[in-house]
Amino acid sequence: MLQKDVLVIGAGPAGLAASIEAGKYGASTLLVDLNMQPGGQLFKQIHKFFGSSAHRSGTRGYDIGKQLLQEAQEANVEIWMQSTVIGIFPEHKVAIEKGLDSGKKEMITIQAKKIIIATGASENAIRFNGWTTPGVMGAGAAQTMINVNHVKPGQQIVMLGTGNVGLIVSYQLMQAGCDVVSLIEAAPKIGGYAVHAAKIRRAGVPIRLRHTIIEAKKGENGCVCGCVIAEVNEHFQPIPGTEETIACDTIALAAGLKPTMDLVKLAGCKLTFNGPFGGYIPLHNDRMETSCLGIFVAGDTTGVEEANTALEEGKIAGISVAEDLGLISPDTASNQRKEIWERLHSLRLGPFGERRMQEKEAVMKEYETCIGAPIPIQ
Amino acid sequence: MCKEYDVVVIGAVAIGTSVAYHLAKAGYSTAILERGDVASGSSSHCDAVALICDKLPGIDTKMGQASIDYFAEIADEFEYDFEYVPKGCLYVCETQTEFDAASDYCAKQNADGYALRMVGREELCEMEPHIAKDLAGALYTPESGAIAVSPYKLCFAFIHEGRKYGLECYTYCDITKINLDAKTNQVESIETNYGTIKTKRIVNCAGAWAPFVGKLTGLTIPIEPRKGTNLVSEQTERLCNHKILEYGYMLSKFDSINFKRKVSPLVEEQNIAFNLEYTPSNNLLVGGNRLFRDYDIRSEIETLKAISERALRFFPELADIKCIRAYSGVRPFVIDHLPIVSDVDSIPGYYIAAGHEGDGICFSPVTGRFMEQIISGKPTDFDISKLDFARFS
Repeated sequence: MLQKDVLVIGAGPAGLAASIEAGKYGASTLLVDLNMQPGGQLFKQIHKFFGSSAHRSGTRGYDIGKQLLQEAQEANVEIWMQSTVIGIFPEHKVAIEKGLDSGKKEMITIQAKKIIIATGASENAIRFNGWTTPGVMGAGAAQTMINVNHVKPGQQIVMLGTGNVGLIVSYQLMQAGCDVVSLIEAAPKIGGYAVHAAKIRRAGVPIRLRHTIIEAKKGENGCVCGCVIAEVNEHFQPIPGTEETIACDTIALAAGLKPTMDLVKLAGCKLTFNGPFGGYIPLHNDRMETSCLGIFVAGDTTGVEEANTALEEGKIAGISVAEDLGLISPDTASNQRKEIWERLHSLRLGPFGERRMQEKEAVMKEYETCIGAPIPIQ
Repeated sequence: MCKEYDVVVIGAVAIGTSVAYHLAKAGYSTAILERGDVASGSSSHCDAVALICDKLPGIDTKMGQASIDYFAEIADEFEYDFEYVPKGCLYVCETQTEFDAASDYCAKQNADGYALRMVGREELCEMEPHIAKDLAGALYTPESGAIAVSPYKLCFAFIHEGRKYGLECYTYCDITKINLDAKTNQVESIETNYGTIKTKRIVNCAGAWAPFVGKLTGLTIPIEPRKGTNLVSEQTERLCNHKILEYGYMLSKFDSINFKRKVSPLVEEQNIAFNLEYTPSNNLLVGGNRLFRDYDIRSEIETLKAISERALRFFPELADIKCIRAYSGVRPFVIDHLPIVSDVDSIPGYYIAAGHEGDGICFSPVTGRFMEQIISGKPTDFDISKLDFARFS
């Protein structure tokens, strides 16, 4: 069986940052991801980041991705792409369906001293009549099509949801040459930043507040040819008689994300439910270690946030495993973590951030109360 | 107010729910207590068939056949559908040596009146077009001796039907104490998180956990947990028409059988016996093995690999079908491979129906009937003195 010091699952910002830290201090580190290329969501983020220079403000997501890849190579991180972790078993054994250059797959079992799970988040689906019709997709999927694969998902788009994802992807769809017909939002106000909403408004695209999609219309070709929207009452229920039909060939759903928990659950980590973070998340401490000794988490898996917090959490996880492997002193590790936590505090400011800071602290407090110290798994 | 029942059954999987159903139907006020939810124990961690051909000749097979006949009756009678399907079973023999051994077994069962028969290679390939072409043949059990049910729906069905006769079910029930009369040792009551439950009779149907219930009254019940694992495939076209087992299954189940297969060290060490069945949802269940791992039911990667390796030997096309899940469970193992269906001499009012190992689903209907007969002081349908708890004293 292949032995590694550290296995990092998920090559998005959190997983890359974690493996760079672990690799940099000399841990034999393997990073696996089921996609074609590493970088996770970074490679479809063509927009510039906000925030301080410490957090690469003004840099576009895909440039950050390239930079991280280079750092991972310099840190001797071994990367397996198109490789799927299919199970975490007793004694830290992990079964991986490894993608080979030939296009075939091979089952490989590895045993790692430390495992970092950074599997990110997945989009929530919204169910309405016809929601499985071809042409209904997640906003993230539409973004991947235009920014990574350079294919338009359709010509006339209706976007459901006005959080930052709904707003940014709508704007990028316009840049890609699609006609965004309308944005639909059930709440009485726009969910995302005003700066993103303003770009949409300036382009003359209507944002229909207090509305929802109640049906996707199927055309003769079997694909979406329109959608029926309706006004909703204060309980978000459609008001009869307010229905109208909008012609479109694509319905993109930006209804939030939930942490991808499959592997965390398989590993046996204790979970907690946290609404603001998107659903069930693993309990973890300030070293990003879960209830299971030697199993760490980072990024959206620990609660849906954004790329910068994922990067910082990934670093903490990487530093903590290096410390546990005896590659850096507890003092050095502790000081570095302190610096990172300070930066994380600065990221979690403002109307969106403060709530997350409070929730993060609540999760770590619950860890202290319910678990205390990580439990060895046999 | 203190609750009181004629009988309290402990453990709500196949055996316990059947016992409780039969007692309620016979007119006893009956309660069933379960540590988790109904069917949360071994009956939701096993495969789905009831066979006569995986049993040793004698009482084993006799109980199997009685149960299979009884399944057909209750499938008709019950309102709750537990996915009863007559299936037929093929016990495939890899080599001529296995074929000869299976022929001996077949002859013994035929002599007892069971309609098993041997099929040669050609007929096997006709019956199962996707099977490996180089096998020696198979032992065929017709539908009258091989059926499938949904194990957990079976538990729900017994509870559902039992409720019609007043059966009461307590889930997430922790038993802290069983009180006996100081002089006579007669069962008096059970203390639980639902309060004290008065009863003169309890039936320990806790399967692999029966020893823990036994300990509450100082009884040593010689049951050990034995782990089995199954793989679940994606939905697929029907790759097999029958329940398929390899003859080596007998080897895996009964270590007393003196027989060696030519298998890899991994398959050997994991004690793998190939078996395959399709489910009503068109997923395949691929098994299996038996290992002693205490109560740890986490799946082990070595087991999954070994099961896959062995399965490909018999159905090469499985290589192109994805495994979507694996699960393990414990079977209540008894050294002589016979269950305990019995009263307990030292404690009046204490009964045990447990230790069915891999036959819990199969034996559940007759076990329920036998236990009702024992408690009512009636003669059992046939002699089951071999299942007496006293055999261990």
